[in-house]
Amino acid sequence: MAAIAQQVSDFLAASAPFDSLSEAVRARLLKGAELIYLSDDNANAINEGPMALYLIQSGQFSVIDSADAQRHVSEGDYFGYPAILENTVYPVSIHIENPGLIFRFTAEVFSELLTIPQVHRFFQGLRSNALHNQAAKDSHSMWLYKRLEDVVTREPIHVDMATTIQQAALKMSSERVSSLIITEKGKLVGIVTDRDLRTRVVAKGLSYTQAIHSIMTPSPTTVSHQHTVFDALSVMTEKNLHHLPVVDKQGVSPVGMVTATDMVREQRGNVLFIIGELAKAESLYALTRLAWQLPHYFSRHAKRVGDFDIAGKVLSQATDIMTRKLITFYQQAHGKAPMMFAWLVYGSQAREDQTMGSDQDNGLLLASEPNSSQAAYFAAMSEYVCQGLAKCGIRLCDGNIMASNPELRLSIDQAIEQARGWVNAPTKDAIMHFNIFLDVRCAAGDSSLFKRMQKARSPLLAQSLFLAALARHTNDLAIPLSLFQTFTYEKGRELKDTIDLKTRAVALVNNIARIYALAAGVHTPSTLARLASLPANVGLAKEDANNLRDIWLFLNRLRWRHQLLNKVTDNAVSISTLSSIEKHQLKASFKAIDRAKQAMVVKFSGGVG
Amino acid sequence: MLTTLWNYLFRGWKSTRAPLFEAPLSHVPFLAIDLELTSLDSNNAEITSIGWVAGSHGKIDLNSAFYCVVDTQQPLGQSPVIHGLTPEVLREGCALEDVINHLFDKLSTNVLVFHNASLDLAVLNKVIARLSKPRVEICFVDTLQMAVYQLKKRHSVLPEGSVTLSACRKRLMLPVAPAHNALDDALATLQLWFAQVHELGASRHGCLKKLRHTRATGRSNLG
Repeated sequence: MAAIAQQVSDFLAASAPFDSLSEAVRARLLKGAELIYLSDDNANAINEGPMALYLIQSGQFSVIDSADAQRHVSEGDYFGYPAILENTVYPVSIHIENPGLIFRFTAEVFSELLTIPQVHRFFQGLRSNALHNQAAKDSHSMWLYKRLEDVVTREPIHVDMATTIQQAALKMSSERVSSLIITEKGKLVGIVTDRDLRTRVVAKGLSYTQAIHSIMTPSPTTVSHQHTVFDALSVMTEKNLHHLPVVDKQGVSPVGMVTATDMVREQRGNVLFIIGELAKAESLYALTRLAWQLPHYFSRHAKRVGDFDIAGKVLSQATDIMTRKLITFYQQAHGKAPMMFAWLVYGSQAREDQTMGSDQDNGLLLASEPNSSQAAYFAAMSEYVCQGLAKCGIRLCDGNIMASNPELRLSIDQAIEQARGWVNAPTKDAIMHFNIFLDVRCAAGDSSLFKRMQKARSPLLAQSLFLAALARHTNDLAIPLSLFQTFTYEKGRELKDTIDLKTRAVALVNNIARIYALAAGVHTPSTLARLASLPANVGLAKEDANNLRDIWLFLNRLRWRHQLLNKVTDNAVSISTLSSIEKHQLKASFKAIDRAKQAMVVKFSGGVG
Repeated sequence: MLTTLWNYLFRGWKSTRAPLFEAPLSHVPFLAIDLELTSLDSNNAEITSIGWVAGSHGKIDLNSAFYCVVDTQQPLGQSPVIHGLTPEVLREGCALEDVINHLFDKLSTNVLVFHNASLDLAVLNKVIARLSKPRVEICFVDTLQMAVYQLKKRHSVLPEGSVTLSACRKRLMLPVAPAHNALDDALATLQLWFAQVHELGASRHGCLKKLRHTRATGRSNLG
């Protein structure tokens, strides 16, 4: 039996997919194996050599090993496997850019190891350029991202408001439900629950022949069927509701009901409970005390990848609730607002992908231009809310993108005019400045005001010259891979091998999703929701959209894990801390982002990079 | 007549050693050997472990890798034949004589590769004599001397620490390898040698004889 050098076993033990095998199985690879110092002197050892699997330990090479185009490969990459995988003959041709060490494993032992499912899956994935990563599939939390219309399948149980209490109760019994929607001419006007029958009818000795509308809860909180399960869960947790009617887009016709029981059945983790706690806070002091628990809370409860997937959403919801609470506190002390307003949030809070390091980005939308006393009210309210958020641990924005900045308190007419300005002069600097405002959501105040503004802006932002400028801007952002597919690291950092996953990768996916969404008039700011709701004709194939979704989830898992494990708020992930398979996945993700970017540039700026 | 006699007399010599020195580099079999020793003084040094690995034309045969801890207390000839070594035996160590017997034939059929040949050769010489093995003629190359040759083109005085195995590897962009295990060092040395041959551009038409000016090649008798 031949001895195995430490450097050989170490390298193989760190090379996916073999890293997942036992040491004994891994050692089988070495039967008949060679380690080649490959240079121009002996390149014909490969070109004329036997069919084999090659694994690069060092050096940079360009290979053709299948019917596909030449590939640039370097440390950790494989070649030669397509022929063995497909049981055919592809001559391998290699060009040496930098000489280095490569392992050659015999076709026999490789074929033998291909019978192990994870090994086969890995090389099959390499061959088909797949991501080795089905982030959405293996997440425990993806159901939370589902839209209610896809989840709520049962017709809502409802009766007309003129029905007697007894008839209504009979209906609830026969349908085996604990709540009933009350309608008037088919429109939702109220809700009655088991508990209402107990407290408002039986306990009060009310006549069962009275009309049901006398005991219903009128105008209950509802949720649109276009929202996600997570949204419904957030509303229910925040308002302590056990029954939430789901309504159609217009917000009038009931289409279903979600109940706390349904949710409990699905949700086993508890990262969401913080939302319920925040909602109970009655004072700024109580709110800040709870908010400061957030990082601790996340590091304790977010353990599984599914938790990382919703952590950004939970954090954004928590920030929304803090904002609403702070506005309420202010109004309790200083009176109601002098006109309709919408509190808008931008960037990561709008997309619901905040992380621990995210600062606040917000603004105010006003129904009309305020007079000086109205302006003073909103200035003071904004100052209170922004400072309050800062006390809650949501950093003030360095770029002063906050409602406390008078330039970000616009009337609806001014906001539309502002958008016209962006569209007319989308210079590079201008895009850097306004990009963040293109992801926007109404977190508090009057959402109808916000919808009006969006509706007016939407056709402006879908103009092709504007989209072309955005596409070109994104094209200028390079993925962190060299020509030879090695990672390119951030310069000037303490650790030599970090990549800022936020600016180098997540931002690119966000940009791509945003541009397609603007083109299609999709208003939702969340990247995953955008990708899910793009219409087929916008030019991004469903498969590519799903790919981007998986990449987005994968990247976010890496940065959340980085932040929680290392107790930091940056996104500079050290590549050496990743497992071998994660490195392969990360490379594949970067390459896929690059392809999606190229396709987008072709689509929106006619290929003029 | 004289030439014929000369050829006749030295045919044996040529058939054993000259082909290795005059054969194209791409055909030469190399064997990198590393000894871990109890002392840096060859007079007192005893072998505690030994590792070797063979290769040719840039290709290293991983199945030729050998490693053994040498137990100097072990009575000679008592450990199992080398081919049947079990991991337990290797951990306990095997007798020096068995190891040298296993190595002996390879010494003359390969060009030996060392990083700092003089110390290891002196110890091998002493051991082979002590074991009363027949005298053996060897060819060797020394990666340390080759590094010195290359460095002297640029430096009149060599920088401190510039010719250690790891420093030499780093200069030629070879990956970091764990040091001070006899097999790992032998493997690292053989990789370094192949990289040096490439750096020198010697592979295509050259033979070892043409590398004599580097002072990195040599012939010697052991035993």
